[in-house]
Amino acid sequence: MKSRIIVVSIILTLLLATSSGVANPGGKGDSNRDFTCGGSCHGDPSLSSPSPAEIQIDMKSTAFSGTATEVSISVSGMELSNNDLIGIFLLGSKNGNNDHPEDYGWQIIQDPNGGTSNYVEIVSSENTVTVSWVLLAPMEEGQKEIFASIQHGSMYNHDNKAFIGETDGFIVNIEPIPENYPTLEEGWVSPDERVSGDSSAIIIRTVNTDSLSVLWRLPGESQSHEASVEMISDQEWEVSIPATLGDTRIEYQIISSMGEFSNQMPWLSIGTSDPYFDGTSLGAKLQSFSIIMIIFGFMLSLQTWFSPRGVSNLVDNTNEVEETISQQNNDYWSRLIKSDENPGWLWDPVEKEWVADPDLSRGEQ
Amino acid sequence: MMYAIPFHHMIVGLSAGAGTLMGICAILAWLSNRVSNLESSKSTLDKASYAASILTLVTLPLAMFSGYYSVSDPTGSAIFYNKFIFSGIAIGFTSSYIAGRIRYGTEIWNHPALANLQMLSALFGLTSIMILGSIGSKITLGESTLDILPLWPEFMNSIVINQWVSLFLVIIGVSSVIISFKMMDSSNKSQI
Repeated sequence: MKSRIIVVSIILTLLLATSSGVANPGGKGDSNRDFTCGGSCHGDPSLSSPSPAEIQIDMKSTAFSGTATEVSISVSGMELSNNDLIGIFLLGSKNGNNDHPEDYGWQIIQDPNGGTSNYVEIVSSENTVTVSWVLLAPMEEGQKEIFASIQHGSMYNHDNKAFIGETDGFIVNIEPIPENYPTLEEGWVSPDERVSGDSSAIIIRTVNTDSLSVLWRLPGESQSHEASVEMISDQEWEVSIPATLGDTRIEYQIISSMGEFSNQMPWLSIGTSDPYFDGTSLGAKLQSFSIIMIIFGFMLSLQTWFSPRGVSNLVDNTNEVEETISQQNNDYWSRLIKSDENPGWLWDPVEKEWVADPDLSRGEQ
Repeated sequence: MMYAIPFHHMIVGLSAGAGTLMGICAILAWLSNRVSNLESSKSTLDKASYAASILTLVTLPLAMFSGYYSVSDPTGSAIFYNKFIFSGIAIGFTSSYIAGRIRYGTEIWNHPALANLQMLSALFGLTSIMILGSIGSKITLGESTLDILPLWPEFMNSIVINQWVSLFLVIIGVSSVIISFKMMDSSNKSQI
């Protein structure tokens, strides 16, 4: 009976210890994800609801195979939760598995946040969001589809449901690349970010290009500036774009040319990361310990410096202690009474006991 | 480490509480020489401050070590590095406070220069602990109560000294402590 109570108590405790769960209300960060998954159970109809948002895909309906193209996704009319967060998927299908555009031959050169993910999370205080991916079109020719999907919370969402929206496929005709078409080399990816203040050159690899020019601009700037470009080897270019500070994202556009034909590619961007921190664990411990020692030594010296004469340390109170003990001894021996009936013994009236007289016993012996 | 985070939360609470008690009681004990209403509480304030400073000196290193094991890269950024530096400052001033109290006992509050020094040790210790709490809050919550101040150090930057220079400073620090103790001895002998 006792063991049953213990087992039931343990089970009850464990059940009560569980917390109510909601899916990831703060988002899960940019990553590569399939449709509806998003790191949660949003595919479950009991946990999700259709989003009122209107989603629109905007891209050229024709692309040459293996060339850079831009896809813009505009989302409007949604009502977001307090954190103003919306997750946007760029998909090659809506099967629920292998939905990444790369599964269909596309290659992401840059996502809207500067990475190379097909799922990005955007914070927007307005109820309209427009984001762009830069892709390399598939090498395989024919019709390809691109889908977009969104997920978000809502301000008035008592059931903690995920709001899901999706588009139909946007059909893109992949046509054979014209002979000697100047474009980026397959596999080249735009750098995500540079360290603050770093002005080192960006390396761009191309195909069929005999000259390359690069324009750069800061966000919101209407006028673009030409960057310095130097060919360092065959189809490899070194581009100098000014260094950035803070959390600036600098935008740049590559224009590759072959003879008189030029291919103007979509605008890409590079973020700015914090400077590299070169502190080490051992260095931090040593620095901390040295600070302790220096402060302690300095304050001890100041205490000695300010110490007035006559303020003795507690460790030097030996004389006071000895005087107190001596006084206590004197009090004790002075209260003892000599007795003629019992020579060699003294009577203690406080403790009511006989005490050997030290003088007499010492004298006799 | 498995229980480092909850242990760190607990020990940080203890060190912040003890450090605050040490600072406030020391300031009040110092004020008791000037404010007649506090004079009767001087002994109590001194004892409370003394006990709190001992607890602070025990909990601060524990908070440092548990904090070290609570994050994957404890010195990977300036904000974590600053925690080590301010922990060192807090421990330095707290141990100075305790040393002063042990050396001079309650008499320390009756001598203006020593009382001022003792109060400043406690005040700097308390300030360092407040900065440590503020850095911790910045790491976990992204904001701190001290953000309301118009001037506040930028915790995203830190002064990193080369390891060999730090080692040299450790030697200087240990030497200065030894010399201070020697000075104490010679001072005591001259008094006798």
